[in-house]
Amino acid sequence: MDLTFSDSEAAFRDELRAWFATNDPGPEPSGEDANYAWRRDWQRRLAEGGWAGVHWPREYGGRGATLTESAIFFEELGRARAPLPANVLGLLLAGPTLMTYGTDEQKDRYLTPILTAEEIWCQGFSEPEAGSDLAALKTRAVKDGDGWVVTGQKVWTSGAQHSKWCMLVARTDSEVPKHKGLTYFLMDMEQEGVQVRPLVQITGEPEFNELFIEGARIPDENVLGGVGNGWKVALTTLMNERSGLAFFLQVRLRQLLDELVEEAAARGLLDDPVVADELGRLHMKAEILRLTAYRGLSTIEKYGAPGPEGSLTKWMWSETNQELAQFAADLLGADALTMGNRWAYELLRSRGNTIEGGTTEILKNIVAERVLGLPRLKGATA
Amino acid sequence: MNFDFTDDQHEIKRTARDLLGSRSTFEKVRHAAEGKAYDDALWTELVGLGWPGIAIAEEYGGQGLGSVELAILAEELGHAVAPSPFLSTVTAAAVIQACGSDEQRSRWLPALASGEATGALGVADGLVPDADAAAVIVLLDADGAARVLARADADVTPVDSIDPTRRTARVSAPPGRGEPLAGEGRHGTDRATVAVAAELVGVSQRALEMTVAYVKERRQFDTPVGAYQAISHTCAKMLKDTEGARSATYFAAWAADAEPERLAEAASLAKAAASDGARDVTAAAIQAHGGIGFTWEADVHWLYKRAQVGAALLGGSAPHRARLARILAARLSPTAV
Repeated sequence: MDLTFSDSEAAFRDELRAWFATNDPGPEPSGEDANYAWRRDWQRRLAEGGWAGVHWPREYGGRGATLTESAIFFEELGRARAPLPANVLGLLLAGPTLMTYGTDEQKDRYLTPILTAEEIWCQGFSEPEAGSDLAALKTRAVKDGDGWVVTGQKVWTSGAQHSKWCMLVARTDSEVPKHKGLTYFLMDMEQEGVQVRPLVQITGEPEFNELFIEGARIPDENVLGGVGNGWKVALTTLMNERSGLAFFLQVRLRQLLDELVEEAAARGLLDDPVVADELGRLHMKAEILRLTAYRGLSTIEKYGAPGPEGSLTKWMWSETNQELAQFAADLLGADALTMGNRWAYELLRSRGNTIEGGTTEILKNIVAERVLGLPRLKGATA
Repeated sequence: MNFDFTDDQHEIKRTARDLLGSRSTFEKVRHAAEGKAYDDALWTELVGLGWPGIAIAEEYGGQGLGSVELAILAEELGHAVAPSPFLSTVTAAAVIQACGSDEQRSRWLPALASGEATGALGVADGLVPDADAAAVIVLLDADGAARVLARADADVTPVDSIDPTRRTARVSAPPGRGEPLAGEGRHGTDRATVAVAAELVGVSQRALEMTVAYVKERRQFDTPVGAYQAISHTCAKMLKDTEGARSATYFAAWAADAEPERLAEAASLAKAAASDGARDVTAAAIQAHGGIGFTWEADVHWLYKRAQVGAALLGGSAPHRARLARILAARLSPTAV
């Protein structure tokens, strides 16, 4: 075991710090649209500096960073108090899935605009009646000439209002067992037949959307990974989501915790043993998340693809983030509970953490069945 | 960077797991605990393998390996709930090695490394695991200073703790007795703390394994109870708590040797996580075993007791959380504390 950064990793970190020293993202604007524009602009600057797809191979315009270097990147992003890039789903989910299953033409066409935030991606998996049970989705794609015609509805589509492309999973065969009849498509959002309706959330802001698809067309060349292989391709996306995204999000958790500690110090609250106890506990949990994510990276480097352990870090992150937001509200009192206050926003937004990207209940099922090998209750799936 | 064991470290872990799996069965644990004795044959074998001296420098008769290797063995002995003075001996040695003068190391360490003498480590006037059988006792005084005493120099009163696999005693020694260790005690104590955390990780791992095996077999309403989400989700949380504590503990073990300036924070992270984790995991193990889990016959209580005593040793999770908060605040606002 050796957690020392190698010379090349240290050089990577120093180069990145030097870049951050002259590239300040500036203050975070409030409001969904302004905030999004700020993050999109920030990603353009990352791309210009060659830092957008750090973990992407060089042949696809990335930096070819190792997993450890990617982790360094996320940590430095946190240290610089910089935001996550706007096209997170493109960088972490669509890009890697395209690299795994895409044809050469698809890779040429789609990868670069993901890096530059020129084309934003969203993920069309969840449906009103198929949230955690992906195989139960009903959106249908019917063959029509040299393409497909799609009809159905998606929900919880994060960032759809900004997106040019959608990673869409639809049913192309209803005669076979339900997880075998799915196909993964790259759907153009800018066409008649695709309607995005903002779904106003608990925060009062429309980060998620409903997606109504009525006769939208997708050409054959936009099938990813072959007709009928949608389940397998989607699992790749989900695995990347649970391992990669949790690592990404722990940076944000760390930023929030540091801010809360500073705020508590400024108010002279750190001498209160109850406050210190809870802040110490949150720090412990944030560090455990970071260290477990690092352990996961070493496992991936040694054994290949991410495993179901990514479910653990996603679970740790969502739980800790909720506890952090709740403690901030407890600590700061009613002052923090006004609309527009950032802690009020975090408190409300955090309720989604244990639902989005796999509910905690589903993650527990995955851990129980795939890691611990426990028997599955008849009818239940993970 | 590699947050995984080296091949040699994996080999140490495998060897320890195999050996303890055959030598330190629950039957032997029970026999030793009920007889209020250690498993002497096991201790002789561990001494023969050089385990007590694994992290003691070669010049003092040890194997000269590091804190990671020590953590590996401590974890495996915790997994086995071995009735042996291993943990107490290696933690006493860790404090002497880190804080003692050359002369003090030369005097005390060879006997501990060779297993000729066993050790104990604890807070003055408090309960000290294994002190009743120890030849060498390291006492931590209230001001953070450490003293090393030969058994005859300390007042040792045996106590029946809830963990009968250890020979616990209340230990006191008036000021002036024993030798003050030359260095600042905290650094040595932090190393010892990491070893205790590692033992707790092993205890948690064993509780998890036993529980998973049990709930796959045990049937109610014609279904293995492990298929019910109330049980399977409990097991998933046991895994999460165990793995989280393991991440923190391995990091701390690595930091102890490689980046000692991070040891204070890392040791408290590890101890707080491992203490909370082991108590929660072993309690959940009893619950998931149902009525049988509450009986003396079911072995799960040995783990619960080890966890409770280990969690209280060298500071429970609360003082370690308080320390973490101080470290974090000092880092963020140097003027605030």
